[in-house]
Amino acid sequence: MIIALLASVAAALPGVGTAIAQPDDEPTDTIDPESSTGAVGEIVDPSFGPLISIEAVELVGNRTTASRVILRALPIGAGDVLRAGDPRLKRARWKLLALGYFLDVTLALRKGSARGKVILTVAVVERGTVALNRLWFGSSVVAPWWLGADLGDRNFFGTGLAVGGAVAFTGHGAIAGARDQWAGELRVSAPGLGGSRWGVHGAITGQHGSEPFRVGGPLGSSAASDLRAFGYRRLAARAGGSVELTTISDLSADLRVEQIDADVPVAPTRTLPDGRVAAVDLGLRQGQSHVVSLAVGYDRDNRPDPALPHQGTRVQVQAELGSTLLGGSYDFAVLLGRYDRWWPINRRAALGLRLAGGAILGDAPRFDRIHIADVDRLLSPRVLGMTTALTAPLDVLGTDNAETLYGELGGNVVVEYTYRWWRRPHRIYGADAFVAVGLWGLTTADELRVRDRSWWSALPIDAVIDAGLRIDTEIGVFEFTVANALGRVPRW
Amino acid sequence: MKLTAIVLIVLGLAVAPAVAAPKWTFVERASGIYVNTNVPIFDKAAYDRIEDGLPMTVVIRLWVYPEGSKRPVSFVLMQRTIVYDLWDEVYQVAHDGPLGRRVYTVKFKGDAITLMTGLDQVRLVDAAALGYDTHFVVAVVAELNPVSKETLAEVRRWLSDGAGGGLDRGGSFFGSFVSVFVNLKIPEADRVVRQQSQPFYRLRPKATP
Repeated sequence: MIIALLASVAAALPGVGTAIAQPDDEPTDTIDPESSTGAVGEIVDPSFGPLISIEAVELVGNRTTASRVILRALPIGAGDVLRAGDPRLKRARWKLLALGYFLDVTLALRKGSARGKVILTVAVVERGTVALNRLWFGSSVVAPWWLGADLGDRNFFGTGLAVGGAVAFTGHGAIAGARDQWAGELRVSAPGLGGSRWGVHGAITGQHGSEPFRVGGPLGSSAASDLRAFGYRRLAARAGGSVELTTISDLSADLRVEQIDADVPVAPTRTLPDGRVAAVDLGLRQGQSHVVSLAVGYDRDNRPDPALPHQGTRVQVQAELGSTLLGGSYDFAVLLGRYDRWWPINRRAALGLRLAGGAILGDAPRFDRIHIADVDRLLSPRVLGMTTALTAPLDVLGTDNAETLYGELGGNVVVEYTYRWWRRPHRIYGADAFVAVGLWGLTTADELRVRDRSWWSALPIDAVIDAGLRIDTEIGVFEFTVANALGRVPRW
Repeated sequence: MKLTAIVLIVLGLAVAPAVAAPKWTFVERASGIYVNTNVPIFDKAAYDRIEDGLPMTVVIRLWVYPEGSKRPVSFVLMQRTIVYDLWDEVYQVAHDGPLGRRVYTVKFKGDAITLMTGLDQVRLVDAAALGYDTHFVVAVVAELNPVSKETLAEVRRWLSDGAGGGLDRGGSFFGSFVSVFVNLKIPEADRVVRQQSQPFYRLRPKATP
């Protein structure tokens, strides 16, 4: 009967859909309704309310942001005739907030010059749009220190252009052939060109790097005496366009042109623990080579709160094809996918499933292969593409996981239990404690073909365990996790 | 229609609230249980914004529970929308609910607020669904201008944009993001009010001799 009643009510009101989490700052001494039934409040009848004609749009408070940037984001403009209940009026506020340029937006109507005409006043409160996207620092055997930062401005001088850049430096350790590394990147993007769903973006990246590889020692060794390094330089440009398919999904396409200048050793070898000598595939051409590739990507994110997710789904798919036919030196394809889904268990807890993986086909350059830190969050991630550590991963399952630094098939699956610690409307908005367990795997095509151990020992997988805090604050999102800490310090 | 009973006993045992709580009255009429009360969802800021001429929406959800239980026996969903006509200087209020849509036009703001927040003879449940001698309560959650999950996702999507675009896509693709910025938290509604009625129960009809 309840279901029938819900169904009949739902049928009476369009837009009844998924559950709404109730704000925690409200009194909870009443019975807690186990579920809500959707955001019917956003459904406004376009035929409701008086007929009005927008005579003009007045902007207030935009000291930095150009007026044209705001006007083109509005779904209505001067000259439009609509009912006051038209959903576009209500949506206008969210369209402006979605730009990420404003802390608050309020709209109001007042009488215009003649009956039926109104002036739409849009008052905005601008926010700082400069963001520290990433911060890199840490220490390892490969690099006794590394430091870097990625900064971006979503609204560059109020133009609506997003401009970002990053720099990173790493010192070199005692590995023969190693040198100091540095990298820099500059990004520009223009989303919503002319108020349309189309955007363009581009990036230039330069690296002066040093790549370590194993020449001896036991499996997974990161002792300097067991490693050698070679120098390389990369200069890459990437440019492309994107189209907003819906308000929460987009499609992008990119062209990448890259020059690699690598001082790769001639016929590098490695002495295995049993005394055999094996050739090492460093995945790069000696001297100068080029990468030319085309990539397409799809991204859909309907998580209401990406900072502290408790429900919703994020899907990302990316495919890249590099070819000598395009003028490059490498023929390869890269397929990457990511799927995050969150299920609320109750008002405080949620269960998340995170899947990420990829496959590299063909003769991909070393840097385009899947790095072990991409799939094992307990290791130091690459810094702007530069390797900063060769720390062996934990060996929880007793499997073969220490050898592959760059793989052709890899991924991870992580289940995460998140507990909502608190939510507040101001300053420190909320914090979640989480525990995550999962598996990661990384292998190469050769390892899949040849096995000299038991099948279990040869499995290129291992477990990953992480726990920590995520904090969403007025000035940003922070993660304090075991993995984050382990990835920044030298160990075994 | 014959009024068969107004015999729902409101227990005086309800916890005395710190502030004056709206009065709840329950009526059994014909085959249904009806409620009268008021949900004070408009604070001063919201009250003042009505004259801005933009639509404002109140969504009211009512659950009927046996006292001490969390399993509702009934649920009612209502939506009310108000818009001020700047030129005619009247308020239009639309009621949407199980009985369909009704539109009212009133001159005075107080009347408009009453139309937005008052629950006047709202049918909660079939009387037959409530057993005799069992105590029930009604929980209400009212939201002012609630925001859909999709809109929240759209507004906060820029948070997950990340750095992207460069050569470090491997790491950023697999990894999570940690950013520092001036961050906006969009509430899921301008205001939310939760209330619970005092317990009530149905009186067993007296047997006729």
